[in-house]
Amino acid sequence: MRMHRGLMLALALVCTAQVAAAQDFIAGIPRSEALIIQGAPSQNADWFNVWAAGGGANTNGLQQLSTDTLWFINPEGGPNAWQNALATDKPAYDADFTTMTVKLRPGIYWSDGVELTGDDLVYTVQTQIDHPGMGWSAPFALNVASMEQPDKYTVVFHLKAPNSRFHTLFTVRWNAAWIMPKHVFEKVGDPLKFDNNPPVSLGPYVLNSYDKSGNWAIWKLRDDWQRTSLGMDLGEPAVKYVVYRVAGSPDARVIDQRNHNLDVINDLAPEGMFALMRDPKSTSTAWRKTFPFAHPDPTLPAVLFNTMAKPFDNPDVRWALALAIDIRAVAMGSYRGAADVSALAYPPTGAASDDYFRPLQAWLSEFELDTGKRKIKPYDPTIATQLANMVRPSWGNQIPADPAQLQTMFGFGWWKHDPQAAAELLEKAGFTKRGNSWLKPDGTPFAFKLMVEGDAIPTLARAGIEIAQEWSQMGIAVKVEVAGTTLRQRLNVGDFDMAIFWTIETWGGHPDLSFFLDSYDSRFIVPLGQNQPPRNLQRWRDPELDRIIHANQSVSFDNPQVVELGRDFLKLAVREMPMIPLMAYNKFAPFDTTYWTGYPSVEDPYSASGPYWSNIRYMIARLKPNPTAPKS
Amino acid sequence: MSGFLVYVARRFVQFVLVAFTGVTLAFLIVHLSPVNPVDQTVSLMTTFGATDPASVAMLRSALSELYGVNGSLAHQYIAFWSRVATGDFGPSLSAFPTPVLTVILRAIPWTIGLLTLSTLFAWTFGNVLGALAGYYRDSRLLKLAGIVVTAVQPMPTYICGLTLIILFGYTWPIFPISGGTQMNLSPGLTWSFVGSVVTHGALPALTLVLVSLGAWFNSMRSLVSNVVTEDHVVYAELAGVPSRTIFASYVARNAMLPQITGLALSLGHVFSGAVIVEFLFAYPGMGQLLIAGINAGDYSLVLGVTTISIIAVGFATFLIDIAYPLIDPRVKLG
Repeated sequence: MRMHRGLMLALALVCTAQVAAAQDFIAGIPRSEALIIQGAPSQNADWFNVWAAGGGANTNGLQQLSTDTLWFINPEGGPNAWQNALATDKPAYDADFTTMTVKLRPGIYWSDGVELTGDDLVYTVQTQIDHPGMGWSAPFALNVASMEQPDKYTVVFHLKAPNSRFHTLFTVRWNAAWIMPKHVFEKVGDPLKFDNNPPVSLGPYVLNSYDKSGNWAIWKLRDDWQRTSLGMDLGEPAVKYVVYRVAGSPDARVIDQRNHNLDVINDLAPEGMFALMRDPKSTSTAWRKTFPFAHPDPTLPAVLFNTMAKPFDNPDVRWALALAIDIRAVAMGSYRGAADVSALAYPPTGAASDDYFRPLQAWLSEFELDTGKRKIKPYDPTIATQLANMVRPSWGNQIPADPAQLQTMFGFGWWKHDPQAAAELLEKAGFTKRGNSWLKPDGTPFAFKLMVEGDAIPTLARAGIEIAQEWSQMGIAVKVEVAGTTLRQRLNVGDFDMAIFWTIETWGGHPDLSFFLDSYDSRFIVPLGQNQPPRNLQRWRDPELDRIIHANQSVSFDNPQVVELGRDFLKLAVREMPMIPLMAYNKFAPFDTTYWTGYPSVEDPYSASGPYWSNIRYMIARLKPNPTAPKS
Repeated sequence: MSGFLVYVARRFVQFVLVAFTGVTLAFLIVHLSPVNPVDQTVSLMTTFGATDPASVAMLRSALSELYGVNGSLAHQYIAFWSRVATGDFGPSLSAFPTPVLTVILRAIPWTIGLLTLSTLFAWTFGNVLGALAGYYRDSRLLKLAGIVVTAVQPMPTYICGLTLIILFGYTWPIFPISGGTQMNLSPGLTWSFVGSVVTHGALPALTLVLVSLGAWFNSMRSLVSNVVTEDHVVYAELAGVPSRTIFASYVARNAMLPQITGLALSLGHVFSGAVIVEFLFAYPGMGQLLIAGINAGDYSLVLGVTTISIIAVGFATFLIDIAYPLIDPRVKLG
């Protein structure tokens, strides 16, 4: 009898499981109408207040789909990189950059039917000034003296001091100051404690449903999508539902995409990408359909020096360590060859090839370094070809022979691996060698730690290990230190010798360097032990650097002089080597074409495609349903 | 009876002291961690955006005020206990201003459901199989079971889980490989929801069962192997008592006592979650919460999770201590 009851219970469970197994992947939503994107877990699932610091997930579709602001820049570059979103035109400054005028587009509505006007823009700025601790409180409080509204759609900002880049607060690269719905927040006592649930959308999608445990959020196309900036510019999106979901370990993501349950993956290890793309039955595509497949983010992983700590305050020592690196081994070890290397302090992505890399090739080739014993020309413009030859046995005819094509895949060139020149530079700096070990000028061993984050960014951890090995072979006692979650804090207070991280992030689609360069001003450098504001974590100080920064600030964002100043910065960074640039942060982000096609690619870089980037909305709006998709 | 009450009172005082010491240690360790929640939030907000250093300094100051992380360690320690006494662990710093208790209560049902069921199943199945293997030593089937179970035991949880993902998520895709339920499904006592919870929990539960089965099996088999040599068992066999009765009443029952202690301790550990399994399967339990809290420097959340775990394990031990004299009359209360 007991056995029969047990059997009945087991049968009931199996039947229940079968019922569940036979269900659609998303309850009540046709798979063919949904784009499923890898998201991140949210501990604050009920919270949709993107303006409260630390609250409101920005990896669940909130900032990607339901918010909007004045301008976007496509990080991929191109002639249409600049996008007027809520604004009718580019920002209009007066001659001394103390006033900025913005005109909003008429006819844009919040999802609850209220029209967007200048009141919302003014409210966004004033509220955040009045409530310190909100996402943009500090920059608004520091910059805005007053605002006026000559008409319903126009706002004039009067700034406390000249600021030719004030508009960048409202210009999206990854995110920007989103416009707040005045009619919602003005009824709230404390905007820092308001959950804004459900959120009123200014973007084309509204919240459909979400998981209280923070594992998924589903957004639905607004019925009045044509009353959004995206709808006005690109028409009705074919994607009716956008699903951000947590997809587990990297292996689970690959399997989920193979099972057609995950259309867009944020990032994989190179091996996972290769497994997907090598499979002849795979329906996955990527930024590049052939090796290296990866999308280069406008971010530059580099070896950072703590330039306030001896002996890294000496450019000769920094150059010596750079020449002791074989970048080909680093590319193979970290990215299995799928690396886009950069000798310049700038990621080789977007518009950078035309603005900086190509024009500076001649200068780089002629650049001379005095090792103390001779003058050398350390630049090797053939690195791309060398890398291609190393990976060609594995990837065959996916690797072209054309040097120009190879440059777009593997980079323009890097420094020659020259341990002899490195040794001469160390001797020039007063170092001596005893046996195979180098000693500092004071006679103590030249030993230090190279800090890496660890498992969170495995490619850079591998790069660190490879670099440390090469330095060790040269007689430098270096240890790799895995900092884990303490990395950023330790970088901030200068508790490191050297580290692999990124302190150069660019617009990608615009040559102006202010996105990161303004923070390199020497007035922001603080002593070791205090929090150094991002991004000059190497605490590099140089009068010429300040000159470039101030000169850049004195011209407008679109002034052609911006490119010249950018090149001046890059040449200075080569001479001084405050960091050893390595490569672009290559992201392995495959897309499944079973249900959707038309993803951006290197041939058609019409939009960013990173799930957490706010400009992914421009990709979503242009996707088309695959006519051969299974019916559901 | 009075002896028993004194025994219970002593054990309760012990439980309170253990819990207090454990939570205090957890508080100190967490607060002495170099990971600063304000810096973590500032990093998150400035990593990809344009940064004006002056703005960052203002933001850091505002967040310190908001998060209440100013003040001495002693001040924060007293404030912590005064809140815990009312079940309030304060706001989560990575999910500000959502209370820590709210965040934990969302995750607890998943963890309790998954780990309790898989622990009970592994315990029951492992002990039954181990007892049989220890008593019927000549059975080839049981010997084979022992080999299989022992072979799987040393397998790391991650490898076991990954193997199941590949087998049942890719090669023969009959189970979902991530999440707690189907998306867009309203929670409730419906066949759809329950079935979805069962199918989504199948692979995580199977992983946990497989990696823990061997320990219960081997320990029970050893215990039974000892008990069968005792005089009362030999006497029963000589007296012609049926082997089924000897097995159930003379052998297994006596061998079970240490396993009950082990079960209580295992159930106490349920509250700390199964970190690796939850990460692998994106299962929304306490383990994932703990890892997220540690990575974000959210010491309020980490303290909340560890406090609950410490109290749960301590309480489970307390319950076993007071239940033992009732189960085993040989235990003296003095």
